[in-house]
Amino acid sequence: MIRVLFFGPVADRVQTREMQFDFIPGMTLHDIIHKVGMQHPGALSIVSFIAVNRTQVRDKQMLLNDNDEIALMAKFSGG
Amino acid sequence: MSEPVRIQIEDFSQDAEIAALKASSQRIGGIATFLGCARDFSEGRDVSEISFEAYGSMALAEMRALREEAIAKFELLDARIVHRVTTVRAGDNIVFIAAAAEHRAAAFDACRWMIDELKQRVPIWKKEITPHGDAWVTPHP
Repeated sequence: MIRVLFFGPVADRVQTREMQFDFIPGMTLHDIIHKVGMQHPGALSIVSFIAVNRTQVRDKQMLLNDNDEIALMAKFSGG
Repeated sequence: MSEPVRIQIEDFSQDAEIAALKASSQRIGGIATFLGCARDFSEGRDVSEISFEAYGSMALAEMRALREEAIAKFELLDARIVHRVTTVRAGDNIVFIAAAAEHRAAAFDACRWMIDELKQRVPIWKKEITPHGDAWVTPHP
């Protein structure tokens, strides 16, 4: 199972805080982003940062592992 | 003694944070601090409240890494970072950063660096609640 987490402005657009997808060996980060985008086309336009297991990643061809936790995040505005 | 890096709902005491820093070393010659607090006006609008949300586990890990990097980069003796994640009103405390060093230059530089890095790297978002509706804040440089 792959968990995808949403926070703040992205969660508002997706209207949920978490989605889950079945893990398929060989699947990439891009595959998951594509699945989210198909369900919520407007949400990805404000995604600026992506984390896998709490570490920022840029390579969308990254291979995923079962039980990975992905976060699709808008620009940060803390402080 | 409280953890040097924290995300919490409740308010913090600057005096308690500074006392904790001073207790950590007697070689400290200067402590620079930054206190971020809530404004009642933003982008031409009255702001009633500000609501914060965080990716808690990643935010805390990033803040801890940030502190360690600051200590190494500026040769600090100690540092503390506390960020509230809750809903605040005008004047309320939001974030506290302190850098302790042997001399003032390193303390000032590190304090500025830590708040700048926090805004860039730590997954926290703020929503301004106004009489005309709510809006997520677009980050400033």
